[in-house]
Amino acid sequence: MLQGGDRKDVFFYQADDQHYIPRALLIDLEPRVINGIQNSDYRNLYNHENIFVSDHGGGAGNNWASGYDQSTTEIILTAFKHLEDLGMQGQHVEEEIMDMIDREADGSDSLEGFVLCHSIAGGTGSGMGSYLLETLNDRYSKKLVQTYSVFPNQMETSDVVVQPYNSLLTLKRLTLNADCVVVLDNTALNRIAVERLHLSNPTFAQTNSLVSTVMSASTTTLRYPGYMNNDLVGLLASLIPTPRCHFLMTGYTPLTVERQRNIEKIDDTSLQANVIRKTTVLDVMRRLLQAKNIMVSSYARTKDASQAKYISILNIIQGEVDPTQVHESLQRIRERKLVNFIEWGPASIQVALSRKSPYVQTAHRVSGLMLASHTSIRHLFSKTLSQYEKLRKKQAFIDAYRKFPMFADNDLSEFDESRDIIESLVDEYKACESPDYIKWGMEDPNNMLTGEGNAAGSLDPNSVA
Amino acid sequence: MEEEEDQQKLPDLVKELVHRLLSQNLPSNSPPLNPNSPEFRNSLRYALRILSSRLTPSVAPDAAAIADSIKRRLATHARSADALSFADLFSKFASKAQSVNNKWAVIYLLKIISEDRHKTAAIPATTTPLLPNLAFSQPASNNGWSNGVLLVSKDPENRREVAFREFVNLVKEENEVLEEVIVRDVLYACQGVDGRFVKFESDSKRYVIPDSVRVPRATRSMVHNLCELGGLFRKVSGYISQSMDRFPNEDVGTVGQAFCSALQDELSEYYKLLAVLEAQASNPIPLVSESASSGNYLSLRRLAVWLAEPMVKMRLMADLVEKCRVLRGGAMAGAIHLHAQHGDPMVHEFMRRLLQRVCSSLFEMVRRWVLEGELEDIFSEFFIVGQPVKAESLWREGYRLHHAMLPSFIPPSLAQRILRTGKSINFLRVCCEDRGWADAATEVITDNEVTARRGGFGYGETDTLELLVDKAAKRIDKHLLDVIFKRYKFKEHCLAIKQYLLLGQGDFVQYLMDIVGPDLSEPANTISSFKLSGLLETAIRASNAQYEDPDILDRLRVKMMPHESGDRGWDVFSLEYDARVPLDTVFTESVMARYLRIFNFLWKLKRVEHALTGAWKTMKPNCITSNSFTRLQHAVKMQLVSTLRRCQVLWVEINHFISNLQYYIMFEVLEISWSNFLAEIEVAKDLDDLLAAHEKYLHSIVEKSLLGDLSQSLYKSLLVIFDLILRFRSRADRLYEGIHELQARYSSF
Repeated sequence: MLQGGDRKDVFFYQADDQHYIPRALLIDLEPRVINGIQNSDYRNLYNHENIFVSDHGGGAGNNWASGYDQSTTEIILTAFKHLEDLGMQGQHVEEEIMDMIDREADGSDSLEGFVLCHSIAGGTGSGMGSYLLETLNDRYSKKLVQTYSVFPNQMETSDVVVQPYNSLLTLKRLTLNADCVVVLDNTALNRIAVERLHLSNPTFAQTNSLVSTVMSASTTTLRYPGYMNNDLVGLLASLIPTPRCHFLMTGYTPLTVERQRNIEKIDDTSLQANVIRKTTVLDVMRRLLQAKNIMVSSYARTKDASQAKYISILNIIQGEVDPTQVHESLQRIRERKLVNFIEWGPASIQVALSRKSPYVQTAHRVSGLMLASHTSIRHLFSKTLSQYEKLRKKQAFIDAYRKFPMFADNDLSEFDESRDIIESLVDEYKACESPDYIKWGMEDPNNMLTGEGNAAGSLDPNSVA
Repeated sequence: MEEEEDQQKLPDLVKELVHRLLSQNLPSNSPPLNPNSPEFRNSLRYALRILSSRLTPSVAPDAAAIADSIKRRLATHARSADALSFADLFSKFASKAQSVNNKWAVIYLLKIISEDRHKTAAIPATTTPLLPNLAFSQPASNNGWSNGVLLVSKDPENRREVAFREFVNLVKEENEVLEEVIVRDVLYACQGVDGRFVKFESDSKRYVIPDSVRVPRATRSMVHNLCELGGLFRKVSGYISQSMDRFPNEDVGTVGQAFCSALQDELSEYYKLLAVLEAQASNPIPLVSESASSGNYLSLRRLAVWLAEPMVKMRLMADLVEKCRVLRGGAMAGAIHLHAQHGDPMVHEFMRRLLQRVCSSLFEMVRRWVLEGELEDIFSEFFIVGQPVKAESLWREGYRLHHAMLPSFIPPSLAQRILRTGKSINFLRVCCEDRGWADAATEVITDNEVTARRGGFGYGETDTLELLVDKAAKRIDKHLLDVIFKRYKFKEHCLAIKQYLLLGQGDFVQYLMDIVGPDLSEPANTISSFKLSGLLETAIRASNAQYEDPDILDRLRVKMMPHESGDRGWDVFSLEYDARVPLDTVFTESVMARYLRIFNFLWKLKRVEHALTGAWKTMKPNCITSNSFTRLQHAVKMQLVSTLRRCQVLWVEINHFISNLQYYIMFEVLEISWSNFLAEIEVAKDLDDLLAAHEKYLHSIVEKSLLGDLSQSLYKSLLVIFDLILRFRSRADRLYEGIHELQARYSSF
């Protein structure tokens, strides 16, 4: 009965015929992706009642406002391995979706929180995701809300021209209404696929497999019970010492990717790019600290790199690990001063040991996931801000938003408010690099902080009218 | 008449012989020998005395023996042909010359002459080879006992001879008692009986000839020496009869009995000897020239020779008896063994024989103990003693080595192995209700027939014993470990204890903490342990613990420790694991008490961690950042923001401390101790190893998690800190509660 030694009830429940059903909702405003799932090998995995596709199926037209308006989201308590960007629309469907959520929430013994997987650039994931975040925060204020948020690829010219608008508006909700945001930067995912995995033209499936690897690894301690880190709150609490700085970057090593989605049929040639190397705890921990393995854009990592500091690090090490090695490795890393930590509070690398799934064949003995809060993530937000400013200055594409109630009558205060919040978020991250963070915002901020391009305004979250 | 004539002829012949010999020696220019000169007369008298006295050579009067030595001599001088012809001649002489009385003397004379010839051939003779000192010295008057004469006897036939008469007179002057009588008395004394003259003197505990009896000093001292045997004999036989009398009422023990019987046997050997000697003693001691047919007589000196060996043995036995008087069993065997380390092969052999007898019962005990686990020791002689104990403490206390009873020829390490082997069998039998050990024992027996032969090993074969013990120990230990591991699932239970008592099963612990937390905050005396048991059950059902072996879950219980007034549930709540027979040998009450202490500490730590994450949840990102204090006055707002941030940073510090403490506990205490423990039980060869490994495991956890004596003060500080953290949590909760109220009030405007 107990196979694999993991807790299946974290994300699944059993149907009457004992097969496991993920406690997941798949929601979208257009049917393409969900139809893909329903025609795939996994079509019988999901509870069909939990799949929502907008009736008219028109999607959100890459418009945050449309998605938000149609009101939406998707996944509750993840279905990993399936990170489709899903979303949908319409406040009129709010009731239907909230019903689904309530049903699943009531059906779980001790609901700890929600996990939302979405993109922040398009219309459905951002708009509907934002709406869901607000609703969940309101309705389940005691529960955790964690998101895996896909940030757009900055290296490609996006077909979504309003991406900066969508991102900004979503970031506001991620800042205010989520407890933890795992930043999945498409720019970095592509870079990793190209540079690390030598895939010249990575497909979505391939980058998605990187994401599912990360999601799977970050939940292992919940699924394989151990002495520590058995619940999401315990895992996140140490990572997020200060409430607003709850954006986490991830790193994973050693990376491999499957070309086939089907595990049973691993194509030999697909693995050729994946050089097998010797893995030890120290190796893994060191590699996790290297920028090239981190799934956040390198420009974010390199800019002002000397000032950037880690607020927290959690390494989840999977595989055959001798616990004595952990201590030694940490000591080695400390001696080499490989990590810069914040100065206003104690911080150190935390380690969680976890088992590897007995069902997933891996070539490496040890693998590791790093979840870290790093002040350099602010550059990602700054970039979004500056792109937004450019667009906003030109008043480009604003009309598409004015069609929706939130922006009716040319009320663009939502944009301004979001901008202010993101700006203050950037400032707070910057403040974290200073030893005086504790006093930050108490006095005239101009005396304490050097300006960050934009005029340092009031950094208080409440300054937003 | 003819005899008279013969007698008259003899001095003439002697006179003629002396004359010849002396003339031979005379320098060439000297005048011819005057038969009446004083020198001649002296020489003549000396010669007569030599002939009339009888100097017994220092060889046994045994013709065959002398002939043999001659043969050997010839043979060694590469004259084997001569040797053969000599043998032939001798046998003819022995069988045909009936008329010759002193055959041995004749042969001996021939031998002496032959030897003398060889000597004179080597040294050019200046004096006569036949009467070397005749020309020079006047022999001193013979004083009977002096001059190292070995044995003087008199020949009544030649009583007329002057020298003889002088000698007899001397002897008679000094001896009031005949030697035969003394010899007989000594023989009596040697059997512990008073003789006519030789009596036991209880003061000195010796047999002596009373001073009133006039005997030569030499005789007296010889008797004194010989009669030591009598004293020793009394001691030994006294001990034997004493022991026999005590048996069976008192505990002489089988070893004591064996010792007695071995002594008895030795004594009967001794009796046999005495019987022979007594027979010889009835032969009169021949005086001077009595014929060789009476070679079997017994003089004091002969007796001394005869008794030399028994004396040594008897001394040993008396010594042993003295030493062993108060000893029993193994101690006795050990004491005897101490005497066996002797350079003299005779003593060594004697002791070995004795010890074999003495130890046979001990070795039988060892055999039965090692192969059958039976402790057959009604007289408590064995070096292993058992005592009735409860099954759980059978292994530790049921049997122990009785060091006083451990014979020194069994090394302590071997004794330990012996102890453990039998203990293992008993443990298997009593605690594990196992019968398989018998097969293991049978295997040992069939494996080595030599060692397993009943009584096939004994004293002096420590190697064999060791081999048998080793074999038996190996099998039995292996079997025992098999039973412990496979049937009683030792490892699984250790793991279960680690999972539940040491909080390794995180999801279970988490859930338990969630659901019992509210109850545990109540005063200890109001808490129903029944309810807590129910909650424990719930926690099991809700976590992966539900898939655990039901046998293991069945052993997991809630235990409320004794509480004092003012205690909260947190202070008394604990989990308990019922190890049951036979594993309670490992997980004894005291061991479980230590596990409980560890549990309590870890549980407290978990509670603090739980409180901290609880605090984090109240201040979690989307609770705080989504709320704004926009409607508050600026100053109030600033104060709030400042307080919140300080609260958060304080939380960070506390959390850092607690999580580091937990990391330490997990990585450097629990997991490392566990992996060491696993490695050690992999190589454990017997239950003791296992116990030691477990003890080490537990000890390292206790010490490292600051529960040891050395860390008392640190531990107390930790508890204070824990308390502070819990207080911090409730303060933080109130702060956030207030803030939420405030927000609610403002937002309602």
